[in-house]
Amino acid sequence: MDPSGERNDALPLAIDGLRVVYGERLAVDGLNLTVRPGEIYGLLGSNGAGKSSTIKAVVGLVVPAAGRIRVFGHDTASASLAAKERIGYVPETSMLYEALTPREFLEFVAGVRRLDAKTASERAAAYASAFRLDDEFEEPITALSNGTRQKVLLIAALLHQPPLLVLDEPLNSLDPRSVRLTRDLLTRYVGAGRRAILFSTHTMEVAERLCHRIGILEHGVLRGEGTLGELRGQIAHGDASLEEIFLRLTREGEGLSEVVAGLEGP
Amino acid sequence: MSWREAARLSDVAYTELCLQAVYAFRQGNLAPPGEASELVARARRRVIQSKALVSVFLGLIAVGAAYIGHIYASFGGRIVSVPLSPPEFQVGLIVGLLGIDVAFLWWTGIQVLPTLLASGVLPVLEPLPIDERTMRQTAALLFARLFDLPAATVLITTPLFVGAALGLSVGLAVIPGVFVAVTFALALSLVTGRFFVRRVQGSRGGGGNAAIRWAYLVLWLLPAFATFGFLTSATGLFVTIAHVAAAGEALPGVLLWTVFPFPFAALTAVATHGPSVIGLGGWGVVLLASAVAAYVGVAFAAAGWLYGSVAHLGRVPPTAAPPVLSGRRELRPVGAVRSVLTKDLRIASRTPGYAFLILLPILDALTLGFFTYVDSPTKDLSFSLGLASVTTAALLATFFGPAFFAIEVLAFSYGQTLPLAPRVNILAKSTLVALIYLLSGSIVLVFVGARVFDPFLFAAFVLAELPAVVAAAFFEFDLLFWRARSRAMPITNLYTGAWTAILVAIPGLLIAGAPLVTYAFGGVPAMALTALALLAVIGPESLRRVRS
Repeated sequence: MDPSGERNDALPLAIDGLRVVYGERLAVDGLNLTVRPGEIYGLLGSNGAGKSSTIKAVVGLVVPAAGRIRVFGHDTASASLAAKERIGYVPETSMLYEALTPREFLEFVAGVRRLDAKTASERAAAYASAFRLDDEFEEPITALSNGTRQKVLLIAALLHQPPLLVLDEPLNSLDPRSVRLTRDLLTRYVGAGRRAILFSTHTMEVAERLCHRIGILEHGVLRGEGTLGELRGQIAHGDASLEEIFLRLTREGEGLSEVVAGLEGP
Repeated sequence: MSWREAARLSDVAYTELCLQAVYAFRQGNLAPPGEASELVARARRRVIQSKALVSVFLGLIAVGAAYIGHIYASFGGRIVSVPLSPPEFQVGLIVGLLGIDVAFLWWTGIQVLPTLLASGVLPVLEPLPIDERTMRQTAALLFARLFDLPAATVLITTPLFVGAALGLSVGLAVIPGVFVAVTFALALSLVTGRFFVRRVQGSRGGGGNAAIRWAYLVLWLLPAFATFGFLTSATGLFVTIAHVAAAGEALPGVLLWTVFPFPFAALTAVATHGPSVIGLGGWGVVLLASAVAAYVGVAFAAAGWLYGSVAHLGRVPPTAAPPVLSGRRELRPVGAVRSVLTKDLRIASRTPGYAFLILLPILDALTLGFFTYVDSPTKDLSFSLGLASVTTAALLATFFGPAFFAIEVLAFSYGQTLPLAPRVNILAKSTLVALIYLLSGSIVLVFVGARVFDPFLFAAFVLAELPAVVAAAFFEFDLLFWRARSRAMPITNLYTGAWTAILVAIPGLLIAGAPLVTYAFGGVPAMALTALALLAVIGPESLRRVRS
């Protein structure tokens, strides 16, 4: 046990038999997944594969139809506040309090996270400066671009230095400098202690460069999981790129050239 | 492209607008369970219900005015303390009626336009290959559908009921005034909506800017307050308006005939009784006719301006201020309850709908307190009026309380991921309601203290009611959070959530009203005991139920 009362061997994230259902539609079907300390776990999948549904279940936005999710041993159903305290979340779409400024929004998040003024100010200032957000700190969020909102969300997620970051397509809308900055920041972030990151993306290049392990989702089912080398082993192709692995495992590449050829006509 | 194409496009846009107005997905709310077609049908139904609620209110005002007219005719001019001649009475009645119609439709516009802007339905159409004419027609039809039922109610019920009560000629003569009133209200809604986006929603952070925002909001909410003020002090206002209107050709009277809605009220009097009965000579009649013609002309111009401007409402820049590098950079986080309270106040300072909920009880206390101080002839009466003012403040704070819940819809999909227990939200929002009540009560206390010289008893009354106001707020927010957890967010904005807010407010009003009843029997001690007992029962139970 550590001073906070949690087991030292507890995994940052353990998902067992997760099922997410929307009405008649099954979005996630019996998903088992673990994220280990010091790991960036990349969740890959096509649109509607179940990535965002999995992430929403982890952060408490969706009630699972079945299964169990634990964050450092805390069940997200029975101990949701304890789990949420350990998570920093960046949603897929930048839904923020439009009527607040970034400073007011971060102040609210820092208050809810019980941060002291000195720590919160230092961290916010450091990240705002790194993301070149200083000029927009007092602008209402409604007037900010999508990329700037995304930066505000990233700072809010990092403000309490959570042991688990849950990032749903966090690099969407960011400019190239910020993409690079975020990538380097995340790599360093898990370097220290027992921190971990669950990361969803469409971008193969980002997943390839950033993630220690990758899970490939299709129709709510995990089709493949492991390091890049392990995934290459699964398709018995030693030099395959992640894109090739993805297309082979999900069979999304089948008939693609015919589809393209068919589109040339019109 | 044609009006038929515009009608088709506006129907699609209207459906999306209903969906956004009821479920606020673009503002960060989560989708409730259910099929998309069910949600769409439910959204359209809820919007119609809200429009019906506003329309019923407007219809009741017209019926009420007709009833007053009937009573006046029956009692021969003794309805108010100062006797009025029939033309004077008629002018006062029509002025009040048209004034309320403008103010209430304007208030509806204040509530609806931010929703239209937030929904983003018009900007979605902009990149499509739709010609300018069809775009204008589409936007105009969409805008018209926001107000169709309330505007039609005013246009039909006002001449109908006024005609039934005061005669066919009055009913016909009031039609131009009603047309101008509706057009002005819609144009004012758009003007103030654009003003809101530029100066309030886009205002930068910082204490100075917040103060300016609240000042703007007070100005902006005056029409709504005018409606409320007229309803609460209708008799006195009515007599004043009628007497000033009857001042005839004395200079202030003549000038009054040029100010809307007096010319249209005078027109009805002239139509039925002739110009001399309201003191108008030859020049007065010319002035009156000119004023009526000018206002009708301005109304047509306003309608044309509305038609051309609505199409590009989405293009209004959200901020007019150039970026500056000054301002506070450091964060000053506070505890969780205060964080939620501060966030709510900051959101209210840029959202007129919420600002209205905070400012109305306070402005009402200010007005009632002032009139109590000025009008009350005796200490006892002054004290009674003061108590009535505080009672109004308590009931208003309780009545509007559930609507603060709608703030939680904003960015709900983010807020839900924070380690924020529902009881923290309940405590924060109940604190806000208590603060509104205390501020309102304190304002009345200042006026009454100056008049009654017994501020301690009055302060005891204000404080004795406080636990009941808090208990009512606990009860209301507990119900709403329970419903949100078990189904979906029950209130997403004030316009479409009005039914739910009213239903939840009814038990809240009973709780807040109980100590006011016991005061009549046992004075302040009985009142305090009742209020404390209610808080002792409801408070722990509410917080226990939402413990997470």
